[in-house]
Amino acid sequence: MIAALQAEWIKVRTVRVHWVLVIIAVAFPTLVAALVGMFNPDPQWVYSRNVIDLVSGVSVVSLLLLASLWVISLTSEYSHGTIRVTYAAVPARWKVLVSKAIVGTLVTLLVMAVTFWLAWFVGSTILNGRGASIGLGDDGVDAGGVFVSLLALAVIVSWFALGLGAIIRNSPASVVVVLLWPLLIENLVALALTLAGVESASKWMPYQQAIQAVSSDDSSPDVLGRPGAQLYFGVVALGLLLIGAVLDRRRDA
Amino acid sequence: MIEVDGLTKRFGRHVAVDNLSFTVAPGRVTGFLGPNGSGKSTTMRCMVGLDHSESGTVRFDGVPYRSISRPLSSVGLLLDASYVHPARSGRNHLRWLAAANRIGKDRVEEVLALVGLAEVADKRLKNYSLGMKQRLGLAAALLGDPATVILDEPANGLDPEGIRWIRDMLRFLASQGRAVLVSSHQLSEMSLMAEDLVVIGRGRLIDQCSVHEFVRRNTTSRVRVRSPQVGEILRQARLLGATVEYVGDSAVSDTAMISGVSIVTVGETSAKVGAVLHELTEVTESLEDAFLAVTADEQEYRSGGVA
Repeated sequence: MIAALQAEWIKVRTVRVHWVLVIIAVAFPTLVAALVGMFNPDPQWVYSRNVIDLVSGVSVVSLLLLASLWVISLTSEYSHGTIRVTYAAVPARWKVLVSKAIVGTLVTLLVMAVTFWLAWFVGSTILNGRGASIGLGDDGVDAGGVFVSLLALAVIVSWFALGLGAIIRNSPASVVVVLLWPLLIENLVALALTLAGVESASKWMPYQQAIQAVSSDDSSPDVLGRPGAQLYFGVVALGLLLIGAVLDRRRDA
Repeated sequence: MIEVDGLTKRFGRHVAVDNLSFTVAPGRVTGFLGPNGSGKSTTMRCMVGLDHSESGTVRFDGVPYRSISRPLSSVGLLLDASYVHPARSGRNHLRWLAAANRIGKDRVEEVLALVGLAEVADKRLKNYSLGMKQRLGLAAALLGDPATVILDEPANGLDPEGIRWIRDMLRFLASQGRAVLVSSHQLSEMSLMAEDLVVIGRGRLIDQCSVHEFVRRNTTSRVRVRSPQVGEILRQARLLGATVEYVGDSAVSDTAMISGVSIVTVGETSAKVGAVLHELTEVTESLEDAFLAVTADEQEYRSGGVA
């Protein structure tokens, strides 16, 4: 298993586009926080909660970029045929998917941690320089809780992306589904369920609920609360990963 | 030693590999021949578990591929040289493969030097020619110093020097006691490269034997004779049951082809009748002739005639 992990880590770090996606994922929230810090007309009225919400909200873009990275890292193996080389080297196919998930989890945790705190630091420092008074934990905001929720969401989305990639096996289609799932697919499903007479269907859409759970207002997920929403989405993502693994085992490489 | 026993693979209703059994002996290069679509590549993929077979077993030195803990150290594979990520360098391609089977980085450098890619190993694979990718694929196959080597069309895209290099390399690998199974459409090359043959058509085994035996069984050996007294030689040869045919116009030609008797018999007959011989040559047909004769009814796809 360690050998498979090492192989997957080498694969991830030896393709330039992966690094480009990571750099954009880190830079985008930092840049947005810096711009908001520089151009906010009333910095003295910006509080810690506002900066945390800004950083966590924009960081969702980063985790979607990372999700795209994990999708591409898997589906490109099918498009380039390297999956055959991979499975010839590691015949136990589940080990490959689990290794990809572990590498994805660790890299996601590291990148999202750096992204969140770098953006917070840059945004709050610039705002404080313009007369704001922002400190971590001011006005009762649970920055740690938001941070942990964001990390959890990012990891779950990486599993979700890998699961979809293993099922779909096509880079463009998988990336589109991963990106459109929270924006479009869950809305359509909720609409269909509502039309079918299901009450508050949108509250049971796992991806949307998990995103809402990242907000500094931890009462925002209407049904399950922060841990419940993420647990619910985590089970869905692991389910997709399991389906992907089972299909992958049955299919020809 | 590779043992394939009763291997069957279907794609829907199409039977790609049909109850195929053969063995590949250690210390020999075994050519894997068949027309396009005959199931060679599918067989190779099934042998290492990339495609799921409906039935049959494949064992490498008595062990199924999936049961080998570090498979690249037992079985070296080159299925398609294009199975690489274009944005990765050749060295990194080999490094992740080595890591997956706990093979040291030193071995990566060794095989890169062996295939002549050490100087370009840090270039991205999208900049490699097909021939360079073939060399990289062979390096990957040799990475684990395996006892068995399976190569699908390894000479594709190679220049004459590369083809000669791969021929020598395969012979060298076999001389070290490895079992080498290699498919190729270049039959002239195969006749120089392989000692044994496994010939399949429509997924079924047609023949397994040595190259020499395969050509002998499936072609007719003929004797070319040129003599001012060729007519007398042919008359005697007919009496011995031979089939004769003039080369060119029988009224003026001094050359003929004789089949059904050996070159020794033709020489002795010529001496008996006191004929002066200007040429006496045994004309042996090629592996290509034998292959085309054997697979005439097994072609999945046929070309149109040349006008």
